[in-house]
Amino acid sequence: MTLSNGVFAVIFVVAMAFFARSARRLNRWLKIGKPEVRTDHADIRTKNFLLIGIAQTKILRDPIGGMMHALVFWGFCVLGLGTLEIMIQGFVTGFSYDWLLPRFLYLPYVVSQELFAVFVLIPVAFLLYRRLVIKPARFRGDPVHGGDAVFILSMIAALMVSLLLLFAMEIRVGASTDGRVISSMLASLFSGVSVESAHVIARSAWWFHAVLILYFLNHLPGSKHLHVLTSLINVWFSNTSGPGTVGAMRPMDLEAENAEQFGASDVEHLSWKNLLDGYSCTECGRCTAACPANITGKTLSPRMIVVKTRARLTEKASMLDLLAGAEPNAEQVAVLDRKLLDGWITEEELWACTSCRACVQECPVSIDQLDIINELRRDLVLMESRFPDELQPALQSLERNGSPWAFSPSDREQWAEGMDIPTMAELASRDEKADILFWVGCMGSFDDRAKKITVAFARILQAANVKFAILGQEETCHGDPARRMGNEYLYQMLAKGVIETLNGYAISTIVTFCPHCFHQMGKEFPDLGGHYDVIHHTEYIERLLSEGRVPLDTEHGQRLKIAYHDSCYLGRYNEIYDAPRTTLRKALPIMELVEPARTKSRGLCCGAGGGRMWMEETQGKRVNVERSEELLATGADQIAVACPFCMTMITDGVTGAGSSVPVLDISEVVASRLLPLAVAAS
Amino acid sequence: MKIAVCIKRVPVMEVKFVITADGTRVDEAGLKYDVNDFDLWAVEAALQLKEKAGAGEITVISLGTDAAQEQIRKTMAMGADRGVLLKSESPIADGLAVARALAAELKDGGYDLILFGRIAIDSMNQMTGPMVAELLDLPCVTNVCKLEIAGGRGTAERALDGAIEEVEFPLPAVLTIDDGLNKERLPSLKGIMAAKKKPLDIKPAQLGTVQVAVRKMELPAERAAGRILGDSAAAVPELVRLLQTEAKVL
Amino acid sequence: MANVLVFAETRGGELRKVALEAVTAARKLAELSGGGSVHAVLAGSAGIGDKAGTLAEYGADSVLLLEHAGFAQYNPEALAATLAEKLRSGTYAFAVFSGTAQGRDLSPRVAAKLGTGLIPDATGFVLDGGALIATHPNNNGKVIATLGLTAPVAVISVRPAAMQPAVAARPLVTEAMTSATDPSASRVKITAIRTGGAGKLDLGDAPVIVAGGRGLKAAENFKLCDDLADAFGNAAVGATRAVTDEGWRPHSDQIGQTGRNVSPNLYIAVGISGAIQHLAGMRTSKTIVAINKDKDAPIFKVADYGIVGDVFEIMPALTAAVKAAKAQG
Repeated sequence: MTLSNGVFAVIFVVAMAFFARSARRLNRWLKIGKPEVRTDHADIRTKNFLLIGIAQTKILRDPIGGMMHALVFWGFCVLGLGTLEIMIQGFVTGFSYDWLLPRFLYLPYVVSQELFAVFVLIPVAFLLYRRLVIKPARFRGDPVHGGDAVFILSMIAALMVSLLLLFAMEIRVGASTDGRVISSMLASLFSGVSVESAHVIARSAWWFHAVLILYFLNHLPGSKHLHVLTSLINVWFSNTSGPGTVGAMRPMDLEAENAEQFGASDVEHLSWKNLLDGYSCTECGRCTAACPANITGKTLSPRMIVVKTRARLTEKASMLDLLAGAEPNAEQVAVLDRKLLDGWITEEELWACTSCRACVQECPVSIDQLDIINELRRDLVLMESRFPDELQPALQSLERNGSPWAFSPSDREQWAEGMDIPTMAELASRDEKADILFWVGCMGSFDDRAKKITVAFARILQAANVKFAILGQEETCHGDPARRMGNEYLYQMLAKGVIETLNGYAISTIVTFCPHCFHQMGKEFPDLGGHYDVIHHTEYIERLLSEGRVPLDTEHGQRLKIAYHDSCYLGRYNEIYDAPRTTLRKALPIMELVEPARTKSRGLCCGAGGGRMWMEETQGKRVNVERSEELLATGADQIAVACPFCMTMITDGVTGAGSSVPVLDISEVVASRLLPLAVAAS
Repeated sequence: MKIAVCIKRVPVMEVKFVITADGTRVDEAGLKYDVNDFDLWAVEAALQLKEKAGAGEITVISLGTDAAQEQIRKTMAMGADRGVLLKSESPIADGLAVARALAAELKDGGYDLILFGRIAIDSMNQMTGPMVAELLDLPCVTNVCKLEIAGGRGTAERALDGAIEEVEFPLPAVLTIDDGLNKERLPSLKGIMAAKKKPLDIKPAQLGTVQVAVRKMELPAERAAGRILGDSAAAVPELVRLLQTEAKVL
Repeated sequence: MANVLVFAETRGGELRKVALEAVTAARKLAELSGGGSVHAVLAGSAGIGDKAGTLAEYGADSVLLLEHAGFAQYNPEALAATLAEKLRSGTYAFAVFSGTAQGRDLSPRVAAKLGTGLIPDATGFVLDGGALIATHPNNNGKVIATLGLTAPVAVISVRPAAMQPAVAARPLVTEAMTSATDPSASRVKITAIRTGGAGKLDLGDAPVIVAGGRGLKAAENFKLCDDLADAFGNAAVGATRAVTDEGWRPHSDQIGQTGRNVSPNLYIAVGISGAIQHLAGMRTSKTIVAINKDKDAPIFKVADYGIVGDVFEIMPALTAAVKAAKAQG
């Protein structure tokens, strides 16, 4: 062992000890969060890990930036082997995998190190250029650590340059050129360098590289680039692409004995996974760039929700570490009492969220920004009864009337007058059963515009001879709006009531045209013990059409340009993108389907979700206006929607823009093509 | 500050009411109940006064059947400190009998303020507050839509038909709270849990002689379907005529 | 045969129309009981006696004048004491009040002092033996209750506009009355009275609301609503969410689910289509008038009276007609 081996060993041990200390601290801080099991369904988690983590599928949604990042990531994976080799060289001078590996393995290894050093260098140069020169919108705005990104990228560049320089100089000193596809070229550039100088440069490059790696490792824990270490772990533990039901809100036990906290006002009320999200965020801003609230000038930035969660964890946990059980002084108490809610994240940010899930969809490392927002909203409502004034009538009416609007339950079936549609109760009294329940929903029952959708869909069902019934006055809201507003208590009360009604008629199949009802009853009821086959009407109509059960006039009519607006709860929540489009095409073979700039999984919310339907929107531009303008920009003759809430918001936006382009529900488009004969016959 | 708030359990009004076969009662089947809105605003006013004063006790009193405990609990979930149920067997149409029973409970309570909602939306009697004030010989301000209490005195605004009256009054006093004073808070889940542990006394209501009785209940004639009077300013004279003679609002 | 005491309501030294309605109701009660006398109490500052003639014209056999500076404004404590004292004399079987804010403040005080029952806000009444039988809205007007009251002195308040004042001229007989308590010693002091005028009345208090929607097309066109509200004199102006979102009116003017919930006697919807969010906040208004160019607008489904047409043509005509109607009294 040489002196230099000894020096390196000391540096290595110190660096590793420091790193271990940081890692242990990060792990300890995670435990401030509530326990939660995230080890179920290892198969799905591993699949997510491989696809989202290793294959980088989500980051590749941004094709250029994504590919650049993927190259760096894959480069790091490959170069990791080389790093290990270099670390061993620190202890055993001159060590090479060549000693251990057969030639046919060693040579490809050498080539891979050569190539990936370049593959990393190119995107790093691009990313640096983008950060410093192009400056895309998502890197601006929020007070995040842009400087750190530049520092890290420069460090990576330095690592790659030192690595290539090391290889090149070793060749000058006499190492084999086998497989050295890049460095042999570099070596020839340095042909003027003497062997002695080359040796000195090689040793210097080695030391620089090895020490920089150890420094890099210790820089990560305190920087946003902690994601290098945590994001793969985060992807494995994440539920945003399953396991579990995508988009379903966290179940909550309201009857838990001695429960004193509902929702979250500070980091200790969040789960450890929410905190790991904080570690994994690299502040790339893809979430914020997709956020309808942020796009239209609201304070909410999903990126900042995560960044602030990490910042608060760091603040609180460091203080607890510092105190180590000692009594805090006044100043320290102030730090401990400054909660995540109010202290870092404002009410205004939380209520701006439309729960559209665009942020979650975009996050390359499967962070769940929405989960944190929902938990904070729950605290606001359940613990403090703090919410925008406008929500009060909606919540009160949900409690009193079983609908977010104060209408009489006796008006629920007014739309059906003269249509000869039985209620479940009527069928039961005749000892008959319906094949499906048509769940009308509150919009479909009370909103005059939505009632036309209700009638259109009922006419399609009748034309197709579907044996269906409605609940009529027995239908009440399932509480989804209350749940999204944070009022889990009211939600569970209403949902349990609906489940009781449904079970009373032994209903198994439910069709509805409201994506919120669809999602809630199909995807969130199971947590409360309600299991039904819930089908959205776009899928149901598509099925009827493909079975040829709906007699349509597909020959006449104008050639129309139709733009379809994706509903968030249909699209991102349930990945139903094709059924509405196929239905449109089947009903109107001669139409031309045009897509707005943001569409399908990138579609922009109408602005009504997350209880926003019942809230004022005073900050910035209105979301529905932004979206309507985008839809109108397609030059469409008609705009098709598949959600009564989208219908209201987009109609409003279109009218506000002074346009008279009609906004129609998919079922209305289909119903308008029903053969009159077919209607008469039914 | 010690405040009493008198509340009533009333049906949720967004329904089609049905009258029982004997024609004297509203059929309770399928009805939902809540605290009378005006009483909720009275409770909210009390809570705000207590919060502003930084101390005090709010007692919520209701006269009704056992079921009214649910409504008392709701106000306690909002933040009231204790509840009293003056138990009666059936709804009492006689406002004076109700006022007597309430006054008997309130008399020795040492309250600085006794709050009522302006009107109960079921009986629509709108009399219990001022009656209690008379029975206890306290100053009374009805239809309060703005309120301030300071230094043992109060100032208030009263909403009259199209006018606002500003008044001053000494404490203790009886006030009836009108629309517009505030918007009531919704109980938090935390409040609901806490309310389960707050004291609720149940005692029989001392109604005395009941002089007013329900003879009959019926549903009003269906509201006539809307009428389109025309498509231009030519329809205006007819509209004004109908507003004067039929709707009697002009 | 029973005598009836009726309280004649004034405002600003003038008799209100409801006072005449109350006298007519009292007259009817007297007739039903077999022809008793009607005694009207008229309270006010010196000079209020000038109005006594009108009460006689509508059927008051005698007008009891309570003239004192302390009655210049509504003075419930002194009035209740005085009326109760008068009613305790044994002369009267009935006391009649108007079902106004004032009458519904005063009548319970009097009833409580007498220890007698009260039927409030009666829309009609008959006598059945010794009992007063009256109808009265319950449950926000969704149920009509018929109440029976048996008491030595039955107290009733009569819903405004439930009966038309009917002339039943009597010779004018006046009698001076003294207050049972010092009218200036009341514990509750009135410090100011503000009367309406558009923009001054709160939406929650205004008996009439003129609300504008997107159909008005621009902020400056709300002048049409302001003018109509001015013509009513007791009206407030509201707006839809679309309008407040556009910034044509402040958010505090918004009527609907996310704004104010209102239930005025008269709601005039101008250029409002009637989205669910708006209907949720005004549906319970007693009379709804809709003016809109789109005949399919949902607002017509809840409206009692509608005009399908151009608001810019109709509103000025309506304003002029309301002014004319108000001028006639």
